[in-house]
Amino acid sequence: MRMETITLPATLDSLALISEFVINSTSQAGLDERTAWQVQLAVDEAATNIIQHSYDSTGNGTIELTWWRDGDFYVISLRDFGRPFDPSEVPAPDVTSPLEDRQAGGLGLFLMSRLMDDVSFSFSEQEGNLLVMRKRIGSTATDVRIFTLSGRLDAIGTEAAIQDVDKAIDEGARTILLDLQGVTFLSSSGLRALLLTRKKVLALNGSLSLCELRPEVLEVFEITGFTQVFTIHPTREDALAALQRGNP
Amino acid sequence: MEITHKSFARVDLLSIHGRLDAASAPQLKQKLDELFDQGRYQIVLDLADLNYVASPGLRVLIEARKRARDRKITNLEGGDLRLANMPDRIREVFDLTGFTSLFEVYDDTLSAVGSF
Repeated sequence: MRMETITLPATLDSLALISEFVINSTSQAGLDERTAWQVQLAVDEAATNIIQHSYDSTGNGTIELTWWRDGDFYVISLRDFGRPFDPSEVPAPDVTSPLEDRQAGGLGLFLMSRLMDDVSFSFSEQEGNLLVMRKRIGSTATDVRIFTLSGRLDAIGTEAAIQDVDKAIDEGARTILLDLQGVTFLSSSGLRALLLTRKKVLALNGSLSLCELRPEVLEVFEITGFTQVFTIHPTREDALAALQRGNP
Repeated sequence: MEITHKSFARVDLLSIHGRLDAASAPQLKQKLDELFDQGRYQIVLDLADLNYVASPGLRVLIEARKRARDRKITNLEGGDLRLANMPDRIREVFDLTGFTSLFEVYDDTLSAVGSF
């Protein structure tokens, strides 16, 4: 198995070099641009935590980064010999509270878990802190799941139509495309159901886009302002092309 | 990261270029603190050339907006930190962290500056 490692001083000046290492390695592993950027941000957050918390910003110590490919996964590990880190001691941030109450701590760990498919920490006296993060290669580009909805999307119709989509998301689908060519009517409760499903897949770092809307259905999105919320493509081909480029 | 600064009669426009990460966040904080110390609390950040933001950068933004909004300039007007020209990648980080609803974001600097 091919691996590459760099060891850098645990200072903030190293962050730019760490990003470079991630950019080069994700490119070698064949990650698309958006996925590579997600890995870059996750590793940056992890390295910042090590520099500022594990080593208390002393500038002493090192970070060792190693990447390798494991099947369909890009894997990167970060090792340090600072203070033992226990992620369960970091409270999850509340990302919904209003400005006055918003605390900006804990976001690094939160972002890492959102951006990567798997994040695991371990510590031992000999091995130090070891963080291993995995990202599926091409998860945004190749695994587009297309669902064709039809008929009337009112409260009852949408619930039935969207069941399969929700089930697929539960089973791991992350890039969802809804083809609405056969949809003749969309009510506000139908719209709400679509919004809930979109919210669900977004929370899992996925995406939901729409295509082939009839003019009367598109009009509902326009009137309610939801053209700003949903990504809507005219045709299925346009949608797939955008998704393959890594844009939802 | 580089910051360029334009001062208008009431509003200050800061354009951020490059990476806003843990290494550069203190530089932005310092610049904002300088403005606050001069009594300048109406600020627009132009993000057009910001190509990367990590959580230490978000922290500076949120703390600066809280501080600016605490300042009453007249009975009708207060301080604020508003954003303009947000690139897609930056918006994605804002969406992920629930920051989108915490800021007023304008399509261009003209409307952001004019919003004060």
